[in-house]
Amino acid sequence: MSMTLNSTTTNTLDKAGGDLQWLLRTTEDAIGGLVASFQGLAGHADSILALAAAIVDCVEDKRVSSVLAGVQALGAAAKGFVDDKLKATAGILDTVTAEMELLHKLSMVTDGQAKVAAQIKMLNVHTKIEVAHLGSVGASFEYLARELADFSLALAQNTQELIRHTNERKAETEKTKLMVSVELSHLTEELARIEGTLRDDLTALQSGLTRLSMTPVQFRASAEEIAGQIAGVVVAVQGHDITRQQIEHVQAALGLISQGMADEATRMDGGLREAAAAHAGLAIQIFQLTAIKTTIAEWTSQVRVCMGGILRISASDLVEIGPLVLEQERAMSAQLSHIELLERECQADSERIRGTLEGISNLSQLVAEHLQNSKSARNRLRMLNFNSVIEASRLGAQADTICVIADGIAEVSVEWSNLTEQSGVALREILSLSKRINQVMETFSHSGSGDLAKSQAQMKVGLESLRSASAFAVTQGHKILDATNAMQTMSAEVGKTSDLLDACYARIDAVLHELNGAKSQLESDYPGIMEHYDCEEIEKAFSASYTTAAERDVLRAALYGKEMPDAQQSFIGNDVELF
Amino acid sequence: MKRILTVDDSTSVRQMVSFTLQKAGYEVTEAVDGKDGLAKIGSGKFDLIITDLNMPNVDGIQLITSARKLPGYSFVPILMLSTESQAEKKDAGRKAGATGWIVKPFNADQLIAVVQKLVK
Repeated sequence: MSMTLNSTTTNTLDKAGGDLQWLLRTTEDAIGGLVASFQGLAGHADSILALAAAIVDCVEDKRVSSVLAGVQALGAAAKGFVDDKLKATAGILDTVTAEMELLHKLSMVTDGQAKVAAQIKMLNVHTKIEVAHLGSVGASFEYLARELADFSLALAQNTQELIRHTNERKAETEKTKLMVSVELSHLTEELARIEGTLRDDLTALQSGLTRLSMTPVQFRASAEEIAGQIAGVVVAVQGHDITRQQIEHVQAALGLISQGMADEATRMDGGLREAAAAHAGLAIQIFQLTAIKTTIAEWTSQVRVCMGGILRISASDLVEIGPLVLEQERAMSAQLSHIELLERECQADSERIRGTLEGISNLSQLVAEHLQNSKSARNRLRMLNFNSVIEASRLGAQADTICVIADGIAEVSVEWSNLTEQSGVALREILSLSKRINQVMETFSHSGSGDLAKSQAQMKVGLESLRSASAFAVTQGHKILDATNAMQTMSAEVGKTSDLLDACYARIDAVLHELNGAKSQLESDYPGIMEHYDCEEIEKAFSASYTTAAERDVLRAALYGKEMPDAQQSFIGNDVELF
Repeated sequence: MKRILTVDDSTSVRQMVSFTLQKAGYEVTEAVDGKDGLAKIGSGKFDLIITDLNMPNVDGIQLITSARKLPGYSFVPILMLSTESQAEKKDAGRKAGATGWIVKPFNADQLIAVVQKLVK
């Protein structure tokens, strides 16, 4: 081998050694950055797990899972409440309809009485005419005429008052009927809405609580997964140390080969033996670097996968546990508020309807008074009829007209009696209706409120627990969010460091190319060079610095053509052997 | 809190040992080689030592031999953490006074379990 060629090869080897030195220095810095990122990520992941664990404990401590039963009970009570109100309102509508019919009947009675009052007034006029016609003979009828005048006036006033009240009452009842109809429609809609929202809310709550109940299991699984990923990075980072040592050994070996070739160049004996040793040495280093490259690919991949696994916690359901508890609390608060509002609305409606319906007792009082007056009027009419008949008999044929008037009074008296009877019937019906209204109102005011109040109280206790858990979850949730954001920020850094490592280790390909070139050159200069290997001596020279079984196996593969050892597929780490 | 000394010329390995054991609740001190390790052993009391084998200045075997001679360190557990897996190397470690041997890379869970067993 010529001195020039030797010089070229040693230069190549020195350059390769220099490249490896650069590689070692640069990767050491990169791995330092990667370890720092890893420790930061692991710290944040641990924080998230600790914060989530605290929320899980709090949720379990507050027995949030029992809240669902409370919500279900409240929903059933609210439905019962509205259902009862609906029935009671329908009852009110019935009574209002009955009152309207009654008022119609009463109007007919008062109309009849008004007609009677008009008839009496007419009789009064006839009596006055007849008194004038009779002259001094009919003086005794002046009293009858006065009585009829006073009486017709009193009856007209009395009847008009009742007509006015009846009409007012009719208007009020119309209003009440309208209000109750609207209320009935509102309650029907409300019942449908409550059923709908309750079903939706319960589904949402159940789904949320199911998610919450799964959180402890999920938490344990996440904790185990993160621990596994962290352990994976811990082992993989050690892979860097192992390959670093192996690269150092290759670098030292290249120096040894270069030195051997430089020494050989000083000899003039052709140096076949030394050239064979250099060739064997290069073959071994090529094998070593190829194996190292595969191992590096394995541990850098493991770092990437495990770091990705740690980062995944920032996107897992676990970080959503805080907002989830808060969401539950909001849904339940809204449900409870809505039911409370409904209860208040029903209370207000109840007061309004009660106020309106109470008017019927005033009417019954008025009708009672009117009935009393009607009875007195009936008696007075009978008396007038009796007196007029006696006076007419006393006068004989002269008082035929008065007899007709007396007959008129008798007819009116009968009619009045009938109307008075009808007034009495109306009064009884009004009193009965008034009693029914009181019962209906009692039902309306108290329907379903007992169960509802009990469920509301239970729900409020549950809600308090959830609120307390939710307040805690919010605080913890903010911290989880901070940790998540920090992790996301770091992920870009981790990616950059991994890329840097990949770029550094790509230099191995260049070194391999150089070494293969030098090896080929030797083969070209010394045909059949491999036949001159002194394997035992070469193994002894190069394996002295080896510290791993893998390096020794690779050396044997290079020298004796044995099978290359499998690159470590997964870094799970080794156990401790106690002596 | 139990104190552990980790001796290794590789920064990343020291970091990984420290990280693993600190997470498990131990106080960990790092030494960059055997010489630094012996200095730290001399100036403080450790409940367990984890040392590499091949290091500049003072290697792992020398460190164990010297540490065993120090007062209070006769029975302190010392684990060797090395890429070496050869039986003769392990035998040399055992003879020097090592309590156990771990071939790199170590498994974090198993390391913690053994440390817990040795320093309880």
